[in-house]
Amino acid sequence: MAVHQLIPSFVTGDATGQAALHLQLLLRRMGHFGELYAGEVGSGLESLAHPLSALRPAPDDLVLYHHGIASQLSGTLMHLSCRRGLVFHNISPARFYTGTPLAEALTSGRAQLAAMAPFVELAIGVSDFNSAELRAAGYRNVHTVPLFIEPERFAQASADPALLQRLQGPGPTVLSVSRVAPHKRFEDLLALHAELVRLRPQARLLIVGGYEPGSRYFKSLQRTAKTLPGVHFLGRLSHSELVAAYRSAQVFVSMSEHEGFGVPLIEAMAAEVPVLAFGAAAVPETLGGAGIAFDRKHFSFLAELVVEVTENRDLHQRLLQGQARRLTDLSAENSQAALAQALGKAASPRPPPRRPARKPKRPRVAIVVQRFGEVTGGAERHAQQLSEHLAPHWDLTLLTTCAKNHLSWENVFPPGPDTVDGLPVLRFPVTRTRNIRPFNALSNTVFHRANERLREEHWVAEQGPLCPGLLAHLETSREAYDAFIFFTYLYAPTVWGLPMVANRTLLVPTAHDEPPIRFGTYADVFERPRVLMCNTPEEVSLIQRFYPKHARARVVGVGVDRPQGSPQRFREQHGVHRPYLLYVGRLEPGKGIPELLSHHRALRERYADAPDLVLAGEAHMDLSGEGVRYVGRIDEQDKHDALAGALAVVVPSRFESLSLLTLEAFAQSTPVLVNGHSDVLVGQVERSGAGRAYKDLESFITGLREVGQERAPMGKKGLAYAKKYSWPKVVAAYQEELDRILEEKRQ
Amino acid sequence: MKLLGRDIPARELIARIEERLRLRGLPTSEAAEVPEEGVEPRVDPLSFNLQALEENADPAQPLPLHTHRGGVGQLVVVAKWAFRKTCQVLINETLSRQRIFNGHVRDSYAQLSAEVLRLRREVEELKAAKPPTAAPPEPPPEPRVVPVRPRRPKAK
Repeated sequence: MAVHQLIPSFVTGDATGQAALHLQLLLRRMGHFGELYAGEVGSGLESLAHPLSALRPAPDDLVLYHHGIASQLSGTLMHLSCRRGLVFHNISPARFYTGTPLAEALTSGRAQLAAMAPFVELAIGVSDFNSAELRAAGYRNVHTVPLFIEPERFAQASADPALLQRLQGPGPTVLSVSRVAPHKRFEDLLALHAELVRLRPQARLLIVGGYEPGSRYFKSLQRTAKTLPGVHFLGRLSHSELVAAYRSAQVFVSMSEHEGFGVPLIEAMAAEVPVLAFGAAAVPETLGGAGIAFDRKHFSFLAELVVEVTENRDLHQRLLQGQARRLTDLSAENSQAALAQALGKAASPRPPPRRPARKPKRPRVAIVVQRFGEVTGGAERHAQQLSEHLAPHWDLTLLTTCAKNHLSWENVFPPGPDTVDGLPVLRFPVTRTRNIRPFNALSNTVFHRANERLREEHWVAEQGPLCPGLLAHLETSREAYDAFIFFTYLYAPTVWGLPMVANRTLLVPTAHDEPPIRFGTYADVFERPRVLMCNTPEEVSLIQRFYPKHARARVVGVGVDRPQGSPQRFREQHGVHRPYLLYVGRLEPGKGIPELLSHHRALRERYADAPDLVLAGEAHMDLSGEGVRYVGRIDEQDKHDALAGALAVVVPSRFESLSLLTLEAFAQSTPVLVNGHSDVLVGQVERSGAGRAYKDLESFITGLREVGQERAPMGKKGLAYAKKYSWPKVVAAYQEELDRILEEKRQ
Repeated sequence: MKLLGRDIPARELIARIEERLRLRGLPTSEAAEVPEEGVEPRVDPLSFNLQALEENADPAQPLPLHTHRGGVGQLVVVAKWAFRKTCQVLINETLSRQRIFNGHVRDSYAQLSAEVLRLRREVEELKAAKPPTAAPPEPPPEPRVVPVRPRRPKAK
């Protein structure tokens, strides 16, 4: 059963969208496939949420509609011919907006809430308070599934340094986070601040949240604020700026008179700021005994309380400890348990296991990889080689896309069953092609800074390949497989598919140090599978650095074939007569090719006898240059011939998790010259003693000279190193891991 | 004043703060309006929508003049008022067919919602007349229903 979600508006900074993403995260962990649909999809977010018109649920699917203020989607929900559920985020009481057009929309929202009750089989309140309102509105099957946050996203390291610096100043600093709306009672915050500055003249009040500069309410607040020192309206902030605001405050105060949950309360807890909040609606429930809830707005008293909380270290510590405890109550795990209970047995994604007529003799394993067959790419080739060596032992099925090009993800192969070199392949179409330029622009906006989940998930969606058919297959056919092997941590099928079958999954991360590995959205990928099948000790260290709670990891690597290479054959076939450096692989900027071309050009200018540079593989850039020979894609034997004859093989990429090319060069007794910015490559070179690393032009030239002088002894060391990588050892490691899964399944 | 929190010595804290307030010559407790407690009541959709249709069926009638903006917002309100004053005849003419259509929608909804209410009543009567085969599930408590919002004053 797929569980789709329907939201009125999916735009950046919207709390409901964030809640829907969190729910989707939990649903995936529970094995459910499901997409997001919205009445309004924010510009640029089309890869993450679909328009309402695309919603076509199957009769057994469940559609969860997120309801708040009046929306035409309530009518849509009632007429959907599938199972229907509702997530209630509460509606501000109309009494706060009497005489304004908003009152109509608020009351309509409540009428819609009551109207939907008979048509909904499952109702979810994000707090017990909301659940009580659902019951009052006539709902029967009501469950509370609390909202949650990801506390690590509010760590000091996530704070925007510039804003942090700007907000430094005398205290006490009081913070409130909310959109500026009358029922949030910002006038009460100003009244509190007026009392506080009498006690501590340097006190500051930071107000974070969207506001309409021209609105009468905001203008009246501004007028009052002008009479007080230290009031700052910071407006809407990016995530890292928001964290900086939290981390600059000594106390968080909420004066709101209606909250259906109050997410900023727990964000403040995660940012280690003591919370003082007026105990309205769901606020006491959200606080759960942590922080301090008060029942009267006695401002001089509250000002004294703020001073007490900021200056009494013992009280401050006790509050922070209590808040940390409360945060663990409001964890994703607890929300998932509540959601599982809400969905109940009827929604179990596991169909009753069909007893096969005969027990299969061999384990059935699915290998999930973003592309397969006739494609260039280290991870894809790794997957292909592993499949070929595992095929004699297991019943393998390759689950992949119809894409051939990893930049555009354009569908090239026909969908459905296929065979590649005797291996059964099941292909699913990609639903969105990628335009690499806007994608690179997006990357620049999210790399090297702290983001909220929405922005990271958006990046993953734009990265692609978007392949809902594959994810749906994982849900519906999970019982057809004993285990899964996912390839490459980076791509959408792994990020979204792996959590659905994590307890039977081996992940081959092929991880390297690149900006997205820092995204919190990858936590499930590294923390939930049964085991990480890494390529090098450096890869394990890297994962450990970013995900200390990662799943068990072991270094497995790949086997290296050592076919006889004939340098003469390659030279004759391609007319290469001078000594040459060689690179084989994808020829694109991300692989460090521009830097290699630049070094080679400088080398030619300095030395008349400089070797040629031979490039082979799929080209995605201009490769012109004196002494540069592009030979196009070459077959396996041609590659080994080329490797055997090269003066040295150059590996210019900074981002490598193994570098098959390095191992294959060693297998042909050819030394390597590698990018010294890659820990993995440096590790390979140091362990083998069969090459040199470079970081700039000078070290490139020095390294090349040394490699040229010691080619034979280095080649010998390389061959000895390559012999350690044997396929029988690799296959044995995979079999051992599968046996563990099968054994657990039997028990 | 009540302070709620598991991690604070509430009584001691209140006493300490009240003592400080006394020393400053400030009242230790002020009368404050306590907002309404409890969950919001159910809004009956049938009667709410019927009333909303009745109120809004005539598209030629203006909505109350309102702006959430200060300053320039007031000018906009005046402009809207002037437009209404001078162009009402044209507005009526332009929207006359819409008025008829809305009237039909309102009347149809009134009839259909009355039918729904009648059928619900009949279903309840039939259920009540049927001898129970097993212990019937306890009916949920009747939700509190509030009358829908007060009518807006009609614009002249």
